[in-house]
Amino acid sequence: MLTDRFCPLRQRAKTSASRLTLCAFFLSLALDAPLPATSCAEPGESLHTGIVPTMGINDVTEGALLLRTDQAGRYTPAPILKTDVHIAVTGTIARATVRQEFTNPSREKGDWLEGVYVFPLPETAAVDHLRMRIGERIIEGRIKERAEAKRVYEQAKREGKRTGMVEQERPNLFTTSVANIGPGEHVTIELEYQETVRYENDQFQLRFPMAVGPRYIPGVPVVVEGQDPRGSGTSPDTDRVPDASRITPPIHPPEDGAINPLSLSLTLNPGFPLAKVESPFHPIISLQEQNGGYQISLREDAVPADRDFQFIWYPAPRTEPMATVFTEQKDGASYAMLMLVPPTQHNNKTARVPRDITFIIDRSGSMAGASIAQAKSSLSAALSRLTTQDRFNIIQFNHTVRSLFPIPQPVTIKSMQQAIRYTEHVTADGGTEILPALRQALKSPQDSSRLQQIILITDGQVGNEEELFELLHQRVGGRRLFTIGIGSTPNSHLMRKAAESGRGTFTYIGNVNEVKDKLDGLFRKLEHPVLNNITIDAAGWSGLEQFPATITDLYEGEPILLALKADSLPAQAVLHGQAGTAPWSLPVSFNDATAHGGPSIYWARQKISALMDETYKGGTQEAIRKAVLDVALTHHLVSQYTSLVAVDMTPARPTDSPAAERDQITNLARAQDLTALASLPRTATSGQLQILLGAAALMLACLLWQFRRAVA
Amino acid sequence: MSRTGPGYRLLTMLMAGLLAIGGWQVGEGSWMYAKARLAQFLLQRAWCRALAGEAMPKPWPWADTWPVARLRMQHPSVDLIVLAGAYGRTLAFGPGHVTSSALPGQEGMVMLTGHRDTHFRFLKDVKLDDHLALTGRDGTTLHYRVIDLRVMDSRLELIPTGQDTEDLVLVTCFPFDAIQTGGPLRYVVRAARAVDRDHS
Repeated sequence: MLTDRFCPLRQRAKTSASRLTLCAFFLSLALDAPLPATSCAEPGESLHTGIVPTMGINDVTEGALLLRTDQAGRYTPAPILKTDVHIAVTGTIARATVRQEFTNPSREKGDWLEGVYVFPLPETAAVDHLRMRIGERIIEGRIKERAEAKRVYEQAKREGKRTGMVEQERPNLFTTSVANIGPGEHVTIELEYQETVRYENDQFQLRFPMAVGPRYIPGVPVVVEGQDPRGSGTSPDTDRVPDASRITPPIHPPEDGAINPLSLSLTLNPGFPLAKVESPFHPIISLQEQNGGYQISLREDAVPADRDFQFIWYPAPRTEPMATVFTEQKDGASYAMLMLVPPTQHNNKTARVPRDITFIIDRSGSMAGASIAQAKSSLSAALSRLTTQDRFNIIQFNHTVRSLFPIPQPVTIKSMQQAIRYTEHVTADGGTEILPALRQALKSPQDSSRLQQIILITDGQVGNEEELFELLHQRVGGRRLFTIGIGSTPNSHLMRKAAESGRGTFTYIGNVNEVKDKLDGLFRKLEHPVLNNITIDAAGWSGLEQFPATITDLYEGEPILLALKADSLPAQAVLHGQAGTAPWSLPVSFNDATAHGGPSIYWARQKISALMDETYKGGTQEAIRKAVLDVALTHHLVSQYTSLVAVDMTPARPTDSPAAERDQITNLARAQDLTALASLPRTATSGQLQILLGAAALMLACLLWQFRRAVA
Repeated sequence: MSRTGPGYRLLTMLMAGLLAIGGWQVGEGSWMYAKARLAQFLLQRAWCRALAGEAMPKPWPWADTWPVARLRMQHPSVDLIVLAGAYGRTLAFGPGHVTSSALPGQEGMVMLTGHRDTHFRFLKDVKLDDHLALTGRDGTTLHYRVIDLRVMDSRLELIPTGQDTEDLVLVTCFPFDAIQTGGPLRYVVRAARAVDRDHS
């Protein structure tokens, strides 16, 4: 029957069968052909006699001066002669001063090289001072208004001077290019940055990057040969540098001594009594001072820089929250940083306040993959830690809103089962509409005897700002709103403001692989609020400016920092708040607590970010720009309107070497922000492959049909 | 082998199976291309709403994205609506605007990415000095001239995205005809702002 029906087709099929076979052969060729093309297109190792491997900027694990090779994006590290580091820790703020000495290992005359100085920074850090000495030249980083910085840069470029605009490439990588390093010349770089110390599991942690990267081996001649533009045809453009550079390492290596000797000292002013200090990888000497501070240095003068320096300090166990003040006098004003530290041990005396917790999860299409999987697994973990006195609800949204319960329900076996089933079935699809989800969450009845927390997890662009703020303003009441933004799209500003108006925090998760870790940390923190409704009694202070204006709640495991500025500070102030349901207050002394650098810069940063927020509240651009410039220039800070320009203070060398022109051109290209291509999505569909596979399957079916007819 | 024998029946089943798989794969593969084309029609309508001033005109109610610009070129003939965000999901419907870059009309570099085998396939035929036109949400059209074509390795290289440049950068996967997806190479077309010409 079946064959009869296909009868008319048979003749045609027979004739085409051989053609199809041929097609299949060519198709298989086509399938194979591009694959070798992909693999051969990868840039090969640029070294032919390789001892110094080349590296990309991303491979840098410690401060390094990279010398440009002929291959775009690949560098050889310049040998480090020595590194001096001093770190001053005040409370949770660390200021590091790093001084590094490099050399151009080439001994050939006229071998002027161009380098890029790269320093990996912790994400919360920002560079504010920079000074470079290259042979006779001194390059100094200065804070200028952005437009002016550009003008200075352009002008110097026209005059044939070497300058470099210094900008932060990504939050955690600081780079600046240095042109014209003469053969055998030394480069000294001084850099200052400020960062926030990590606090986790009752310990404060500070890290200074000095891990082993690819580095040179002294005493062995090294030749780096330029790659032919052959470059496997990956780079069709021709403006690559044609001549090969030859680099030879210094003939005088340190005699058997440490490579990259590093000395490090640290002053620690923790602001609270410590149980102990510890450096897990390096032997240290620590001296305790009268005022509770510590002086720390490495036991040896100089150690080989072969592993990260890590420093940990543990607060002495306490059951009560503690406040510490650091003050600073600068330009006639007083700055203070008030740190409120949660107790290290859970105080069982204060009754645990029952919680109403509402999770709002974005399940729009863009959450698909790692984001939703990780959010789900940390949500299940958070659910399993709820107690029977708590109530909870889960709301998921894309362009529609689904709510597990109309209002938060008590934790029971049944509700838990429902919740777990509900969470497991969350799949990511559709658009993002946050507002209705938030409105649903805010429908729950208010109850001042309970702690009402709303946790919003999204990766989407939050639109309709005004409506959102209006909703929060009217409805949030005593609830706390915690916002979590995942990926590159979230409107961080808006989400931070939303969290602020809901007296919660905003957590930004840039890397989707960190979603679980960060959420787990946050959920755990939210379980243990120590103090609520904190205020500072600031009566009688003149010219007080305080950031943040409303103080968030104090949770276990996370200190609160307050930045204060006033014409003069009083001797004492009082903090008020609520511990559980009981009132709480704490007098704070502002005497004998001086620090340097930290408080004023911290205050200035807070002030700038508060000013930038004004743009969204409808402040005029011009007024904001003026105000930000004022603060940024006074305190030497990089901001949206100011840049750090490295200006060459000495005349440049004679420009008779052909390298000079080239260096200037590349200099300009370097002086910009960069985006990693790798962070872009892959831009190919599998459509072609599927059609080919499908065609192959259909052809095979045809052949099979022929064969079946033959055997029939 | 007889027509009713088990071998014959097996062949029939095998054939039917292959036909089904073949049909499914061809269908699915073609659907990707069809979707890429069809979506552009819906997007044209949403784009009109965008020009009329709607903030986030979603081309279909459950969309996670909306038009932000229109990219045009005369030779090869190109007219594409660019979507907000460059995720796998938006790229199926049109080229995506990389959120961290500037929008047309803002200060800074504009970066767009698209699939190498659908919307951005035309990049293969783009030559130096070709003209591109990008229309922003406010209706103003900016003109660009291609100044650089290159292949970059996404694992090693970075694209400068400073505020100092007003360039338009188009990124797609490379090689264009590779069957396998997910290779490390990217084809990067950089175009600089040209003096705005009248439409002549």
